Amino acid sequence: MTTSTASTTVVRKPVAWRRVALHLGCLAALLVMLYPLAWLLATSLKPADEVIASLDLLPSSLEWSNYSTALEGVNEVSVWRLLGNSLFIAGGAVIGNVLSCSLAAYAFARLRFRFRGPLFAFMIATIMLPHHAVLIPQYILFNQLGMVNTYWPLILPKFLATEAFFVFLIVQFMRGLPRELEEAARIDGCGPFRSFFLVILPLTRPALITTAIFTFIWTWNDFFTQLIYLFSPEKFTLTLALRQFVDASSQSAFGPMFAMSVIALLPIVLFFLAFQRFLVEGMANSGVKG
Amino acid sequence: MTTTEIPTASRTRQDAAVKKPPRRRREGAAWVFLSPWVLGASVLTLLPMAVSLYLSFTDYDLFNPPQWVGLRNYTQMFTEDPRYWRSVVATLTYVVIAVPLQLGLALIVALALKSMRRGKGFYRSAFYAPSLLGASMSIALVWRAVFNDGGTVDNLLGTGGWVNQPGWALFAVALLTVWQFGAPMVIFLAGLQQIPSELYEAAAVDGASRWRQFLSITVPMLSPVIFFNLVLQTIQAFQVFTPAFAVSAGKGGPADSTLFYTLYLYDRGFVASHMGYASAMAWTLLLAIGAVTAVLFRTSRSWVFYASDTDGGA
Amino acid sequence: MRSCATAAVLALCAALSGCSGSGDSGGGGKAVLRYTWWGNPDRAARTEEAVALFEKQHPGIDIQTSFAGYDAYKQKLATQAAGGDAPDVMQLDYRMIDQYASGGVLLDLAKQRSALSTADIDAGLLATGVVDGKQYAVPQARGTETIVYDTKQWKATGVELPREGWTWNDWADTMRALAKKSGKPGGTDPGWSEDAFEVWLRGQGKNLYTKDQQLGFDADDLTKWWTFTDKLRREGAVSPAEQTTQLDGTVENTPLGRGGKAISDNNWDAPSSGFLALVPSGVTLAPMPSGEDGTPGQYFKPSMFMGIADNSGYPEQAAQFIDFMLNDADAAKTLGATRGIPVNESIREAITPELKDFDKTVADFQASLDGDLNAPPKAPPSGDNALQTTFQRDYDQVSYERMSPREAAENYITEAKAELRS
Repeated sequence: MTTSTASTTVVRKPVAWRRVALHLGCLAALLVMLYPLAWLLATSLKPADEVIASLDLLPSSLEWSNYSTALEGVNEVSVWRLLGNSLFIAGGAVIGNVLSCSLAAYAFARLRFRFRGPLFAFMIATIMLPHHAVLIPQYILFNQLGMVNTYWPLILPKFLATEAFFVFLIVQFMRGLPRELEEAARIDGCGPFRSFFLVILPLTRPALITTAIFTFIWTWNDFFTQLIYLFSPEKFTLTLALRQFVDASSQSAFGPMFAMSVIALLPIVLFFLAFQRFLVEGMANSGVKG
Repeated sequence: MTTTEIPTASRTRQDAAVKKPPRRRREGAAWVFLSPWVLGASVLTLLPMAVSLYLSFTDYDLFNPPQWVGLRNYTQMFTEDPRYWRSVVATLTYVVIAVPLQLGLALIVALALKSMRRGKGFYRSAFYAPSLLGASMSIALVWRAVFNDGGTVDNLLGTGGWVNQPGWALFAVALLTVWQFGAPMVIFLAGLQQIPSELYEAAAVDGASRWRQFLSITVPMLSPVIFFNLVLQTIQAFQVFTPAFAVSAGKGGPADSTLFYTLYLYDRGFVASHMGYASAMAWTLLLAIGAVTAVLFRTSRSWVFYASDTDGGA
Repeated sequence: MRSCATAAVLALCAALSGCSGSGDSGGGGKAVLRYTWWGNPDRAARTEEAVALFEKQHPGIDIQTSFAGYDAYKQKLATQAAGGDAPDVMQLDYRMIDQYASGGVLLDLAKQRSALSTADIDAGLLATGVVDGKQYAVPQARGTETIVYDTKQWKATGVELPREGWTWNDWADTMRALAKKSGKPGGTDPGWSEDAFEVWLRGQGKNLYTKDQQLGFDADDLTKWWTFTDKLRREGAVSPAEQTTQLDGTVENTPLGRGGKAISDNNWDAPSSGFLALVPSGVTLAPMPSGEDGTPGQYFKPSMFMGIADNSGYPEQAAQFIDFMLNDADAAKTLGATRGIPVNESIREAITPELKDFDKTVADFQASLDGDLNAPPKAPPSGDNALQTTFQRDYDQVSYERMSPREAAENYITEAKAELRS
């Protein structure tokens, strides 16, 4: 307490040094971490005989034909169609998860109702059963509903808050907000709905953005569900299509598969770059004082 | 812990003066908020879960109707299947290695990024980049190339390949998970953003050191998020499937060293067509994870701090 | 406001169901058949072309195709079939037939005999699609195992080249000689492979499974085989455990394919084409070794079976389509050897002169064996799906020296008996 004025003059130099060290440390860590990604990029340009066999990072010559093959799409379905399908599914999933999970989370975090404890425990338990065990019952269910080979099995569950991961995530953030917020809103005449939309939701924005980012990326990469529920090639996604280049029983086209992986990576990179900056704006600059 | 003092400083008792609406109305509102979840949980989750619980007491080969066998799947699993126990050991080893490493790394990087003034966005994106890939086919091939004999790691460290030695393969798989620490990192970052900056300003005025600020503000205010990451990453680690499946081409080799629980479950259910046995494995895992999670929740009472609980609610 | 919302919901529903309206109702009075298979984009292009040809000949039938890589395909088909939603026409592997037939997924093809002719197919190969006396599936192609080797490297060692009728002991001596001359393993350790074991076993006059689908060998046989390969591994004549454990049937993961870490490999003939990209100087296909008394162990394995779903709404049209894929000369021209060398003998004779590159190599290799081999065994019991991986897992324990060949063999036999009982 007594040193606060002295420290500003003494500590300044070490702080500058510390910042440089911090950046150097981060850059060094990144160098190691991004090496496999560099490998992925380099491999997508390797000639066929080097893709698997070569253990060198750099290709001996640049093979752009991997990309032209990938851009032709698979099975007469253009890469743009595949991209559109992937975007539609991932976009729908994002809207569904953000809406339904935040609604459920609000109830669990801030409202009181009967069986709240047991229901919350059940919700957490639903994440604990390996999904392979419920795959077939779920498939039968969607088949009975006539939804196989449509996008419903991929999107509908998201609108029904079946991903407890995100409900729990938002619950944890909402529980971090002081209760005075709603008390104040209530004095102003807000019911639970208005205080949810006007007070709580804006303050949980980092959690909602996180939910949106993860949902987009995970849905985009979710090979398994797409494989099981989609039949018609024109409904396929990029993630499904890139696996069609690989067949253990015949010849695999690994070059185009790597090229397609890079193409499939671009939209999620853009999505992440577009939304990650919103993570910065938390409570600190939202203008609400505690 | 003495750390709860700062947030509670703003606590007021004015809420006592506010008239609460009748309990029934609030209860009704809760169910409106819950309705999508109730529908999804009962039809899409509870129903298939009940079916799999039933199947765990049957002999079910996917195509012919299930035959009731009582507890046979469970007794066979515990007493007659050495490979089952190998998968349990591999999974526990993996959980103990991967979860602390991944969470520790995610927290350190998140804290480092928070204290940065410039280049925050760049670093955040770059550190997240590996997590964009998931455990795709292409990353599996890259991983095998890097960790195989004659690959980058072998050349640098001279350890030989990792993915083809029983003592090392599990580390190669765990590293793949640790490498993709972006998700917990982003959650930590979001949690850090939610801490009101006034708290730090007030503490700085009081002359608290950075370390003191970390312990008295950051840790308690972040504790719900730390708890979330701990619980979820533990649950996910128990269910580790894709990285192992990708790196070992679905076999869990070499010599069963990466034959994790869900990998073996998948093998029993879909390769060997013993879906009843696989369901019994799934329910055993659920109970095991449930027990671990319950312990975590129990301990959380002593170290997780919720701002919303300070008015004596909950 | 409300109508706006309704319109939005309707538009969303339409989008979710797939915009093009190519669902089952899209056929407009046509018989719509779903046909699924596994393979790669090249096979897809040729298959689409053949399907288009069929649809032109049969305007009343609309065929919707879908394909995936083998592993993904297996998983998807199992889920669909378990959900009562198997596609009308499906491609099946030898190992899948027993399970799908006894599970009631497949249609007895005798019911559609008038639409589907099997007259030109070798009787021995055709019989592999029979379960409980009923023909459930028809093979499209055949393949056989081979010792595939790096031609240039082998010749450089001066070791005598493999010849027809060589025995397993000849093979072992050759591997030792190759290793001695070249300083690296002569070939892949075959101990991991149930397929290689079967060839060895048949060379002794035995089979993997008896006619009533029980185990056709005992722990002594398996111990002998694993002792044989384990010894070669210890001598350095075949690949070490660290290489062998990575084998999964793909050529990319074989020691030969991974930058020439060995001089030869044992594999199936058609997939060996993958070596062309990995072994720049070229590969040669040689026959598998025989038993010591000259009994050939290898056989023509039927592959790429086609079957019809038992609950298909259009079994007759499905049978017509299979007939087209098997017997039509124009279809054969389009398909070439993309699913392997055809089993239909007149088709095989017709297309053989037109085959190019590695397809021709495989056709010539098979022709050199024609007439020398014994008939294939009937399709393995469904338990074999699990046992195939168990076999490799147990051998891992041997090659990493965690179990003796005897211990591992006893383990395997116990598990196999349990698997075949259920």
